[in-house]
Parts: sequence; C-alpha cells; structure tokens
Amino acid sequence: MSFALDGVGLTHANGFTALSGITLRANKGERIALIGPSGAGKTSLLSVLGTALAPTAGVAEILDFGQNLRLTAGLKALRPRIGTIHQAPPIPGRQRVVTAVLAGRLGQWPAWKSLASLLYPLDVAGARATLERLDLADKLFARCDQLSGGQLQRVGIARVLYQQAELILADEPVSALDPALALATVRQLAADAEARGATLVASLHAVDLALNCFPRIVGIKAGRIAFDLPAGEVSEALLHDLYASEGQTLPTLANEPRFTTLAAANDPATRAACC
Amino acid sequence: MLLNPAPPRDPAARGRLSGALLALVILWPLFRAAEFKPGALFDSSNLKVIGHFLAGFLPPERGAEFLAYLGKATLETLAIATAGLALACVIAVPLGYLATAAGREQPTLNPLTRSLLTVLRGIPELVWALLFVRIFGLGPAAGVLALGLTYGGMLAKVYAEILESVDPAPAHALRRSGAGRPLAILYGLLPQASKELASYTVYRWECAIRASVVMGFVGAGGLGQLMDQAMKMLNGGEAASILLTFMLLVFAADGISGWLRRALDTPPAARASPFGWRSISFLLVLPSAVIASFHWLEIDFGELFTAGAAHSIGEFVAGFLPPDLSSDWLARVGLGIWETLAISVVGTLLAAASGLLLALPKWRAPFSFLLNTLRSVPELVWATITALAVGLGPFAGALALALHTTGVLGRLYAEALDNAPAAPGHALRLAGAPAGLSFLYGTLPGAAPQLIAYTLYRWEMNIRMAAILGFVGAGGLGQLLYFELSLFHHAQASTVIIAMLILSIAVDQTSAWLRQRLR
Repeated sequence: MSFALDGVGLTHANGFTALSGITLRANKGERIALIGPSGAGKTSLLSVLGTALAPTAGVAEILDFGQNLRLTAGLKALRPRIGTIHQAPPIPGRQRVVTAVLAGRLGQWPAWKSLASLLYPLDVAGARATLERLDLADKLFARCDQLSGGQLQRVGIARVLYQQAELILADEPVSALDPALALATVRQLAADAEARGATLVASLHAVDLALNCFPRIVGIKAGRIAFDLPAGEVSEALLHDLYASEGQTLPTLANEPRFTTLAAANDPATRAACC
Repeated sequence: MLLNPAPPRDPAARGRLSGALLALVILWPLFRAAEFKPGALFDSSNLKVIGHFLAGFLPPERGAEFLAYLGKATLETLAIATAGLALACVIAVPLGYLATAAGREQPTLNPLTRSLLTVLRGIPELVWALLFVRIFGLGPAAGVLALGLTYGGMLAKVYAEILESVDPAPAHALRRSGAGRPLAILYGLLPQASKELASYTVYRWECAIRASVVMGFVGAGGLGQLMDQAMKMLNGGEAASILLTFMLLVFAADGISGWLRRALDTPPAARASPFGWRSISFLLVLPSAVIASFHWLEIDFGELFTAGAAHSIGEFVAGFLPPDLSSDWLARVGLGIWETLAISVVGTLLAAASGLLLALPKWRAPFSFLLNTLRSVPELVWATITALAVGLGPFAGALALALHTTGVLGRLYAEALDNAPAAPGHALRLAGAPAGLSFLYGTLPGAAPQLIAYTLYRWEMNIRMAAILGFVGAGGLGQLLYFELSLFHHAQASTVIIAMLILSIAVDQTSAWLRQRLR
C-alpha cells in the first residue's frame, strides 16, 4: 500500500473547509489523476498527501507512516520519499538549472555533499540525464531566470524525477506547456513512475490528458470525492456533472486534433499509443 | 544520443575558482594590514582591563545634576541633528533632482552634479567640521554646516538612486502625454518611492544624532562632548547613561520611521483633501522643530556671507595649497590609504558574517534588540572600547566598525530574508531537505542580490568612517590627518584630505562595479 486516507477532513484556521470525508487508498505503483473544477480541493488533497498540511479530521497513512504526522523525527525520514511537483515551480531565479535539479536529493545526500555541491555540482551526469528526458539538456548550466515559463516548469519536474521518490505528487504539472509538450511530459512522468514502481498522483486541468495517461481517475468536487473509477468507466455524463459549475464545455488540452472528442480520447487504441 | 559521453564540465567552475583565488590574494594582505588577530580579544590581561572598564559602567549615573546636563546635551544633539538634516535636505533635493536619471527620456550622466556630490560625500563630516571650526570658531555652527554638506551629498545620491530603482513606466507615460519632468516625477515616481525616501531620511537623521559624537571633537556640545569627557575621566557610570540615551534616541527614530511608513501606507480618506490629522500634525511639527533647532543653537549664517568671512575662508583655504607632494610624505599617505582600506574591508566582512548569523534565527525579539543596541552605539565610542580590548591600532578600528555595522546589516539582512520568496525553501523542506540546506538552496539565492547590495553600500559608508577612526588612535588616514592638523601642517593635511577623497571615489566605483557583476 502506498497511502490510505480514512475520512480525512481539512478545515483551515479561518474556518474554510477544504476537504471533508475523503477516503482514498492507493497501492504501490498506481497512477491516479485528480480532476475537478478549480477550487474543488485538488491542491489541498495533494498537500495532505505531501505532509505539507496535517488533516484536521480522520487518519492519513502515507508510505506506511501514519497516525501522527506531527512527529518530526518520522517526517524527516518520510519526506525524502515523497516528491512534489508544485504548480508554480519553487525555484529561485538566480539558481542554475543544474543546482535546482540536484536540490531534489538534499533529503538523501549527506550534508557535506549538499554543501560541496553548491561550490561545484557533484552529479552533473545525473542532472543532465534527467534533463535529457524532458528535452532540456541544453539548459543544464543556464540560470533559471533565463528560462521561459514552460522550461522552468519542466525543471521543477526534472528535480522530482531526480529525487526518485516513491510517491510522486503533481499539482497541475503541465499548466504552462503547449499541448504536444504537455502530453510528452506527462508520458515521461508516467513512464518514470511505472519503471520504478512508484505511485503517481497528479491533478490535471485537461480531462483528456487525464483519461489518456492515467488508469484511475478520481473526481473531486467541493472538497469531496465525486467518483473514483478506472479511466474506461468515466462517462461523459459524470464529467459534465463534475464540471457543472464551469459551463458546458469540458476543459481539454487546447485544440489538440487527436483529442477533439472525448470518445476518441477514451479509445483504447489511443490510450495504448499514448501511455 | 547513442553513446553516453563523459559528463560536461561545469563551465562556471573556472570562473568561480579564479574569483575565489583573486579574493584570497586581495584579502590576505588586507587582513594582515588590519593586524587581524582575534586572539587578542581573548588575551587574559586584555579581558581583565575591559572587564574592569565595563564593570565601571554599572550602575548608570542617575544624579540629578548629571541628568540635567544629560537632558540639555540631548536637546542640543537633537537640535544639531535636525538643523543639519534640514540643511542637507535643502542641498539634496535640487542636487538629487539634477543627478537622477529618473523621469528623463534620454539618460544623462550629468558629470558636473555627480562630481559635486562625490566631493561633498567623499570628505568625512569630521574633516568638514574641523575646517569650519577655523572660520566659525568652536561651537555648533561648524557641526551643523559639516553635517549639512556631507549628508546633503549622501541624501542626494540615495534619493537619485531610489527614484531610479522604481518602475519608470508611469513617469514615461506622463512625459509622453506632455507633463514636465518635475510633475512626471511627482505624479509618477514619488508615490512608489515615498516610503523608501521617508525611511532613508529618518535613518540619516538617526545617523546625524550618532554623528554628534564626532561633533564633540569640534566643541559643538551635545552628547558627544559629554561622552568625550566621561571617557577621558574613565567615568563608566556617566558613559553608560549617555549610551542608554543614544539607545533611546535610536529606538525613537525607529518608531518615527515605522510610523511614517505606516502613515504612507494608510489609504487616504474619501474626500478631496489628501491631508488627514497625521499629515497636518506632521506638517506643523516639522518646520517648528527645524526653526526651534536653529534658534536654540543660535546660529547666524549671515556671518558666512560677510566680506570678512569670505576673506578668512579664502586665506584659510589658500593655506592648504599647494598640497605636500614630496615622495616621503606620499609614501606615508599611501601606507595610510592601505591601512584605511584594510580597516574598512575587514570591518565590513566581519560585520557581514556576524550580521547574517544574527539575522537567521526565527525568534526575532532578542536578536533585534541586540542588533539595535549594537547599532545605537556610535563607531567612535566602540573604537574607544575596542582599543582597550585589543590595544590601539587598525584592528581596534576594524572591530569597532564591525560591531556597529553588524547592528545595521543584521537588521537589513533580516528584512531582506523576510521579503525573499518563501516557496522555494518550503518546497525543499517538503522533499525532506534539512532546514539549513533548504535555506542555502531555496531562500538564500532569492535574497542574495539584496544582501550583497546592502553589504557593498555599507562598505562605501565604512570607508568614510574608517578614515575618521584614526582620530581616536585606530590608525589609517585619520591618524595622519589629526596629527598634522593639530600641528597646523596644512600642506600635509591637504594631501591626506585629497587621499581620502580619492579613496572614497575609488571605493564607490569598485562597489558599483561589484554590484553590477554579482547581480
């Protein structure tokens, strides 16, 4: 088992309830997409899984570590095993790409190695190999403030790939990428998780991307789980119901011809070709 | 890629290594010249002397007679600082306007104004004060004029840079729609820059209060003179009371600065007049304080513009010409330059290191109190204390600079770290990085340009202070100048003043270049 949430609720200090009654389990190696309208609680759910926020109700067990997430000694050992891709890449502009990627292993490296790596990057080969998978190897020694928004987002992904986490949490990981690149990048993430047997949970804005690349889809609405189904069983009616507050059209990758209709996107042949 | 080629070398490594070596090659002799030996601090006989001296500080003197003196001296110091700063503003606003590139469509270098500012700033206030004493005699007038000129030059430069650092787009838009440059600045830039301008002006006022120690040397009265007497008579209790007064004044200046910033942040009431009770009371208090200050000090600037005064100024200045350029003397001045540079560099570096350490802890209260205390004691007073701790010489000067500057930089660093984006460090902690490493990889890179800029600005100030510290025996150019002036060797003194000017210009240029390079 990778994680198990049992009746988890999250109420912020200002009284706003972001999550309530979330019960969700994932086995090791599962790939789950979280979809739902904005403000539904996708980011809050990922924050609970990433131990950034402790649930205010229910029990969360993450990578066999549970009950009391406030225990700092345990958290220290747990957190290097969780990799989070943030919506806005949390990387200082003046840092070089190579350093930003190597920072993924700060939780695993001994302190002397991390310190020395500030003076001379200690795993240039590893950083470059990771960046190559995202088509960014030429930016290895560039400074992050010289990158475009999409390139910076992929550096954030490269950092988590380099971390080699057992549980990868991705919050809108491809929001700044064009459709073709978004697809390729999500495929890289999925392939990496599959190859290493890691669990991948990604919140995605584009429904077609979620349906194509993830075997299991969890719909979130108003802080609750609306449905939790294999991708093949997600019907158009369910989706329209989920996004009822956002109008008639479902959010998809912008005008990507292959996915103009959901039916085509959900076609097994496309799915096979995609992931 | 078919083969996996050897990983590329880090292209920045060579530059970093040579940069580090260069820094070492430059810094090593500087540390030697500053006679850097931290061991002297822990020498048991020195510790005993300083222990005795500091023990004498307790309890602070509270006699009614002394407190009456202290009150009068405090008012005098406030009056000198206020009058000096008022004069400085009169100089700084027009010169800053002329010097700044803000609101111009074609940036100009304006060499005339800029070099005038450089001369005003480059000669330390103490030197100006000693010159004016010859014209006005002992008393506050020389001090006020000296403060006005030096701080006028500093304020003008900083005003110009603050106006250049805010977003120029609003002013450009106004100019393109036909507004003149002054109005474009008032409407387009001032609203963005007002908080910075206000807090820097109050900070300068606080510096002017501390500069009264310097003014004590020219008999301008005030806390400085009282301090000088107390130290000479080794009366620790009185010195402690005076230092406590300095602390109170500095905390008060902090309070005024915070109040002004908050007032400028408050959205105005919904009526046509932008003036609320705050601005009206401020506009009433400020001019009356300035008028009261000049009145209290009984300064008659009319004297400055009589024919007799012009004659004596002319004669006095002529006495300094020509400067002594004999090779013997030049060699000694060169040594003084090197020593002054060493004091400023070592003092600033020590302060940067300890300021950063004190800026880091999350629980601020005790540390900001410590930093404020370090800051409120003037460098010259620190120098008399450090001279007891490590003996007379450049190291005492460097330590004195370091102690005061730690207070200033620590506070600025803490603010900069607080304003640096929090997300990168937070994300690294979520990925399991220890707190220290998340700081180094996540938070520090975001704050570094600010930290470097503050440190280099401070170095520019410290080179001027290092030049003065010699007056209390800390070596360098100041010691030479003090000696020659007291012997009325004007030709030699003028060489030293020119050397101070050249040194401060060189440091300004180096600092600007480093800021550009390290951005």
